[in-house]
This record gives sequence, C-alpha cells and structure tokens, in this order.
Amino acid sequence: MPKRDSIDRFLPLKPVAFHILLALAEGPRHGYAIRAAVEELTQKGIRLWPATLYGSVRQLTAAGLMEPIDGDGDPDDDARRRYYQLTRLGRRVLAADTERLRAIVEYARGTRAIAET
Amino acid sequence: MQQGDDAPRSVRFALRLFQWCLRMLPEPLRRDFGVEIGADFRELAKGAHGRGGALAVLLVLLRSTVDVLLRSLSERWVSDHESFSEAERRLSLGERIMLLGQELRLALRGIIRRPGFTTVAVLTLALGIGANVAIFAVVNAVLIRPLPYTASERIVWFNHHAPGLNLPEMESSAGTITLYRELAKSYESIAAIVVGETNLSGTADPARITVLRTTPSIFDVLRLRPEMGRRLIESDAARGAPRVALLSYRGWQTHFGGARDVIGRTIRLDDEVTEIVGVMPKHFAHPTPEIEVVVPMLVAREDGFSAFGIGAIARLAPGATLEAARAEAIRLQPRISELYPDVKAEFLKKAGWRVTVVSMRDRLVGDAETALWIVLGTVGFLLLVACASVANLFLVRAEGRQREVGIRFALGATRSRVASTFLSESLVLGIAGGAWGLLLAFLGVRAIVAAAPPQLPRVQEISVDLRVMLFAAAVSIAAGLVFGILPLPGQMRRPLHGLARAGRGHTIGRDRQRVRKALIVTQIALAVVLITGSGLMLRSFNRLRAVDPGIRPDGVLTLGVSIGEQIEKPRAAAAYQRMVDEMRSTPGARYAAVTNSLPLRSDGINGGSFFIKSKPRAEGTLPPVAMYSVVSDGFFQTMGIPIHQGRGIERADHENKRSVAVVNESFARSFLDGKAMGEFISFGDDSVWIEIVGVVGDVRTFGLREEIRPTAYLPMTTHIETARIGLMYLVARTDSDPIALVPSARAVVRRVAPATPVTTARTMNDVLRESVADTSFTTTILLIAALVALALGAIGLYGVIGYVVSQRTQEIGVRIALGAIPSQVRTMVLRQGLVLAGVGVALGLGAAVALTRVLQSLLFEVDSRDPLTFALVPAVMLTVSGIAAYLPARRASSVSPLEAIRAE
Repeated sequence: MPKRDSIDRFLPLKPVAFHILLALAEGPRHGYAIRAAVEELTQKGIRLWPATLYGSVRQLTAAGLMEPIDGDGDPDDDARRRYYQLTRLGRRVLAADTERLRAIVEYARGTRAIAET
Repeated sequence: MQQGDDAPRSVRFALRLFQWCLRMLPEPLRRDFGVEIGADFRELAKGAHGRGGALAVLLVLLRSTVDVLLRSLSERWVSDHESFSEAERRLSLGERIMLLGQELRLALRGIIRRPGFTTVAVLTLALGIGANVAIFAVVNAVLIRPLPYTASERIVWFNHHAPGLNLPEMESSAGTITLYRELAKSYESIAAIVVGETNLSGTADPARITVLRTTPSIFDVLRLRPEMGRRLIESDAARGAPRVALLSYRGWQTHFGGARDVIGRTIRLDDEVTEIVGVMPKHFAHPTPEIEVVVPMLVAREDGFSAFGIGAIARLAPGATLEAARAEAIRLQPRISELYPDVKAEFLKKAGWRVTVVSMRDRLVGDAETALWIVLGTVGFLLLVACASVANLFLVRAEGRQREVGIRFALGATRSRVASTFLSESLVLGIAGGAWGLLLAFLGVRAIVAAAPPQLPRVQEISVDLRVMLFAAAVSIAAGLVFGILPLPGQMRRPLHGLARAGRGHTIGRDRQRVRKALIVTQIALAVVLITGSGLMLRSFNRLRAVDPGIRPDGVLTLGVSIGEQIEKPRAAAAYQRMVDEMRSTPGARYAAVTNSLPLRSDGINGGSFFIKSKPRAEGTLPPVAMYSVVSDGFFQTMGIPIHQGRGIERADHENKRSVAVVNESFARSFLDGKAMGEFISFGDDSVWIEIVGVVGDVRTFGLREEIRPTAYLPMTTHIETARIGLMYLVARTDSDPIALVPSARAVVRRVAPATPVTTARTMNDVLRESVADTSFTTTILLIAALVALALGAIGLYGVIGYVVSQRTQEIGVRIALGAIPSQVRTMVLRQGLVLAGVGVALGLGAAVALTRVLQSLLFEVDSRDPLTFALVPAVMLTVSGIAAYLPARRASSVSPLEAIRAE
C-alpha cells in the first residue's frame, strides 16, 4: 500500500497526465488508443501529438504510475504496439486527484453563483 | 519498419521528414519510444489524408514537428516530476516576468554585496569585451560595411600581370581601358583614376594638395551626384577644353570654408587657371579620403598601350556577374594586337600577360583582411580566457554559498530555479562588463584610429555604429552565459550536508575542484596559443628589423619640396641645387641632398626597360627592366649608402648635363656580371647612351619585406622624361636630433623659392617605422592579448593551488608532525600545480600547431612552426606557472602542525 505522502507529492496532476491516467482506468490501452480516448472525452480540448504523448508516457512510467504490458486481447491491433496499464500507485494517485477535483466541484456547486444558474 | 505500401505518397514523405525531426528528441525518449512515435504519426497522417488530402497531412506534419521541438526542450530543461505534476505552482506569464525581475534584483544585490569579487569579475570581462568590440568596430568598418556607393558590390578593378617582364602586378593603361571600353559587353561604364599631387594657389593659402585625375565616367561608375554645381562631362576632358575642377567635400571645407558661392570661382592648379564647377558629395572618398580636387582626364586610344600606372574601375552591366566579366576580360586579351599592331601576340606570350578582375572592395581591403580576422580571433581567445577566469571566481564563491543553496533546495526550490539565480547573476555581471567594455571600446577605437598603420584601408570610416553596439550586446550576453553555465555543475549539486556543514563536504569540494582544474587547464592552453602566436609575430618582427635597409637612417631628416612640373628641368635643378647648398651651410647639417624617391617608400620612383650597349638584344627576347631614381650630389653620403666602385652623382653632372648613372650592386650583378663600370645603357627607345660611373650598395627601395630591385641613380638634369623632379625630398644628415633641423630646412626653402609648398618633415627613422607599421600593429595586439592571457592564467592557477593548500592544511600539518620535511611538502604542492600547467601547455601546443598556420601569410622569414618559438613558449608558461604554484607551496611548507589542528 503506497503511503499517503508518496501519493500527495504527485498532486495536483497536470491535465495531460490526468487524462492519460484516466484513459487507462478502464483497462490496458496502447498509445494510439489513449490519444483517441483523451480526444474523445475532452472533445479535442486536449490533443496529444506523438512526442508529447510518449514523452508523458515515459515520464509517468518512470514515476511508477503506469507500466507497459505484453500485447493482449484485441487481435485487430498491431502486435508491435505496447499496451499500458495503471500501476497500483497510479490508480491511487488518479483516485486521489479525482477526489480532489470532486471536492472542488462540490464546493463550487454549493456557491450561490453556480447554484442559481 | 511500419511503412506499409498502402500509405499514400504524401504520408510516406511526411513520415520520412518527421522521422528526421525526431533526432531532436533526447536519447532516452527516442530510444524507448521512437518506433511508437513514428507509428502514431503515420496513423495520424493517414487519417488526415483521408479527410483532407495532402494539405491536411502537411498540417499534421507541422503541428507534430512543433510538438517534437517543444517536447525536446522540456525534456531537457524541466524535471520529469515538474512536467506532469503541478506540485510546484504553475506560473502565469506576468508572474514569470515578476519572478525574473525579482531574480535580477536579487542578483544585483548579491553582486553589490561582494564588491571585491564584482570589481575583479567586471574588470576582467570589460577588458575582454572591450578588446573584442574595438577590434570588431575595425572589422566592421573595413571588411563588413559595403563601400559608400550605390550597389558598390558591382564595382570592379582591373589588374594586369607581366611576370616575364619582371612586372608581377600593374594597374591599367590607356590601351587596356580602350580595349574594355570598345570591345567588352560586361561593363556598363569604365573610369580611369590617377591620384597625384598638385600645387593649389589663388586661394588664401597656397598648398600642396592631393588631386584625382579621372574620366568624367567616374560619376557613372560610382553613381555619384555632385553636392553642388555640375558633374564632369565628356567635353571637359577634350583636348584644349577650358580647365575645370570639382572640389571634394573636404577640399571645399578646408580651402573655402564651405562657402556656398564657390561655383564659378577660379583657382590655379600647378599655375593653370581652373574654374570650379562643382563640389563632390560628402561620402566620396575614392580611392583615398585625402583627395581635395577632382579634375577631368582624357584617356584615348592614341595614348598607347604600354604606359601603365592608370587605375581603372568599372561598373558591371545589368545582368553581368563578376565571373562572366572576368572571363570576358581574359578572352579579350589576345585582341590587344588588333588595337595596337606593334604589340605582338608573341610578346604578350613571353611576358606571361594576364588580367585579373577583382571587386573594388577586395582591392581596397587587400592584405588587411587576413590580419584583421586574425586579430579578431586573437581577442576572441582573450575573451574566452577572461570567461574561464570569471567562471573560476564563481566557483570559488560557490564554496561560500553552499549554505544558501542548501537552504533554497530544502525550501523546495527546483534545480531550474536555483540555476536561474546563478545565471541571472552571471548575466548581470556580463552586462556590466559589457557596459564598461563598450566604454573601453570607444577609447580603444580612438587609439586604433590614431595608431593605425598607413596600410590599413578605410580607417576614416571606423566608428561604433549600431552593428557594433549589437555585437557588444551579443558578446556580453554570450559571455555571461558562458561563464555562468561553465561552473553550474559545481554549484548545483544538492548539498546533502550543505546545510548542517557536518563533515568537510569532501565530495562536493572535489567535484568543484575538478571543474576548476578543467577551467585552469583550458586557460593555460588558450594562453599558450596566444603566446605562441605573439611569439611568432615577435620573431618575424625582429627578422624584419634585422633586415639591412641599405641606409643608415639615424640623424636623417626628410622634407618634401614641390617646385612643380611647370618649371623646366634645368631651372628646377638649379633651384634644388641652391637649397642643397644652403642646407649644407646650416649649422648642424653634415650632409644634404635632394632625391625624387625616398628609400623604403614606393612613391616617386620609376621603372622601365633598358638596353645595354655591349649586349645587343637578340630578336624576340625581352628587354631587362630596372628602376631609376633621381638624386643630387651628396645623396649617398646623406643616406649612408656605401659607394663600392667609381664615384657618386656629382654636382658637375647636373651643371654639365652629363649622361651618367650610378647603379646599385643588384643592377651590376644581374645584368653586367658585376663589371658595370664604364658600360653604357639607355632607357626606352631613345639612343642617348648613359655611362655607368659608379656602383653603390643595395637599398630596400620598396620596404623591408620587398625584394631588392636593380636600380639606377640619375642626375637631376637627366633627359629621361618620366624621371620627374617636380616633387623632391630635401634630405639632410646631422649628428644630433634631426627634428632640430626642421626650422632651418623650411627657412632654406622659403629663401630659395618663396611660394613653394613643402610637406610634413619626417625623420628617416619614421619612414622606416611606417614601412613595418602593419606588422608592428598586429604584433602589438597579439602581444598584449598574450600577456593578459598569461597573467589571467597564472592568477587562476595561483588561486586553485592556494585553495587546495588551504583545504589540505590539516593533512599537511599532520604530515609535518609525522616528520615530513618542508621541502617535500613544497615539492608535493608544486608538482600538483605543474601537472595542471603541463596538461594545459600540451593541449595548447597542439592547438597552436593547428592554429598558427593562419599566421603564415603575415610572417616574414619565420615558419609558422618555428622550433625556437615552440620551445620557448612552454618554458615561459611553465616558469610562470611554477612561480604561481610556488607561492602557495611555500605557504604549505610553513604550516605549523599545532595551528593546523587548531584550525579545524
């Protein structure tokens, strides 16, 4: 079980990192699929060009938040693509950051300006 | 790889470009993810192609490439953690700017708080930057700035060569100008230019002034419009046309105080009444800024082919390139015989006849180019040494700042923040050094203009302009970055125990020492290169000074006296003779004479082919060529030229208009097997035979570097037309200071010929110095740079070894307590210093072997790998390093064990 402060030191995540981790929350994906998921979810608000995508993948992997696995399942996909999945630490960090965002969203909803609209 | 054949061509092409761009990415990312990045890009590009064709692919390519660029920067400069987590707050642009301001203020405060460090650092930098900016100002004016005429790069100059006639380089003649004017298509207009001197009268002060004789076409070639009045037109140059002249801007200011009503006034030029019709524009200074009057000149085909000595400039026709124009000029040479049937093709072939066409800028800049780039390179090296010095100071200071750095890291500062603090400090210092350097450069430029050798062209244009300022700014910032970044590795270690100061922080200290040692080695190596360069120049300069000029210059005064060309020779000769007589009776003057050409200077002297009576020339062979100079009696005694055989020129030779000549040794040896006495020669085609009555020692007529030429000395009344005596130099020898003779020499000229203009009086030693001025200029700058580099290197070495000693005080104390003899300790420390110096010297010598080759063209009779220099330089450097290391070594050996332990 990762310690609390080892999670905290990643918070808050930058949007790109948050969305990459989020894209992996439903299961392993390869790079191109991560991009597609992020672009779909953010309605192209975040576009991951190749160098940025894999630069971030490298960093998040090095930080131990995600890890590559051997290609599985989907026979349609290119066998040479690497699949990535969240590590336990990654899952916890994602959860913690989501919790942080949820708290902020709830507070914001509670404020008058937003509640009245 | 994944390049499936199914991908459209534009996609495959974009992929190849993109993969090439991927090289920008840092190694780890490229190695682990290069394949995936490429594959992804291919998918993106394919998708884009399906939606929008090749244009969409291009957009994807652009966007992805920018992404690669940005990523490769952030991978290098931002830590992994910072780049995906906002644990350190994200800053807005405004905040960043505020932070930068804060950083700079902090840096400034830090700098002010350490006045000693700051003064040394700023002065060192100011020296380095100032020297670079000053020399760059010269390079800028002489080499970079174009000539001040419209499309000046299209102005060219003609040189002709006849090595077979002993005439390796000549200007042009009426014949060649006619050739190009009539037959060439690559030139829009051609102008002849001849710079001379003339006597100006009819104004407030009669004066000897510089005149440009030129064809009216110069206004087309240089695209000039007169400041006032009208330009020269073809009819001005016609034979018998009324004489007209334009004043140069300078002549207008000097002789007419810039009066607006100067047009239409008349002046006398060499006693000919001449009307002023205009004033040249201010920027006109061609080929020299000394020109005060411009008069028309006619260049006609009838003037003949062989009278060289006319400069020719041309403007390329629209569309013509320099290469094409050059090729056309070369093609035209065989057609000389069409215009001048007596110039046979065979003669041209024997003479090795050739033409070269060069741009006017190259012609003006000439030999100065190499020397200037070398000098700029030299001061560039000096700046590097200065940067290494300051970087070293920074490292020394870093010792004292471990605590500060430790605290900042502990408070959560990132490496980039700490680095930016150090960098802002070095930038502030760099800019301060640059500001002082610019001030030094202003002074330096003045000094250079004042001390510039006469061989340096365009001196009057040297100034600190916008480009020089930008250069200064760029150099300052670059210097700041260089000496800021070099010590960073030493400063940036996260000091694990920097805060607590527990232990003695050895690992950190040692790392920093390694950087400092590397810097010292670099400094010493650079110093060795500079010392080698200056050593070679010094040797070359000494060789040059050791050349026997053939005269004894001490105690000789020279004064130009211009009677002018209008007076016929016998009358002029008589006047000069009276001046010589009066000069001789002046107290203090031992000998006196006149001549039309001073030794070591090329002006005044003439040359031409001649015949020897006893050796008729075989048909088809080329005539020998010699120089001839006009002298009065007493010339050889005054100049200290030894008479080897026969006699010198005598007074009776002028009075009786004898056809005699005295020749130099080279003449006798080259043409008459050393037996010249009693032989007869004749110059030109005339049949007046001249008897050789004496042989004198050789003189370096054209300067110390130049070959000795066969020369004949003729009496003043010689019949040879081109041996002019309009301008003669009155020379006198005294046992005391020759300058003391100046007033009496002027008085003599005034008494004999009252209205005759005289030029500045100079000693023969001045003339000698001027002839080596270009070498001494380069040598001086190299020498100063080398000495400064040597001093900085020695101080740096002293600092490092001193620091090592202070770090090891305890260890040394223990050693002494255990019975080490002080001399052993001394040797140990000294050895450490000498090892560093030795490495630096070895590297420096290696670099010097490669770099001094560029000096070769400036060296005189010295090889660029001169063994003596290459042996002496390491000796000098090691001696100085030895002294620099000995001082701390002595301190080490006197460490008292008790104190050493107490000091801990």
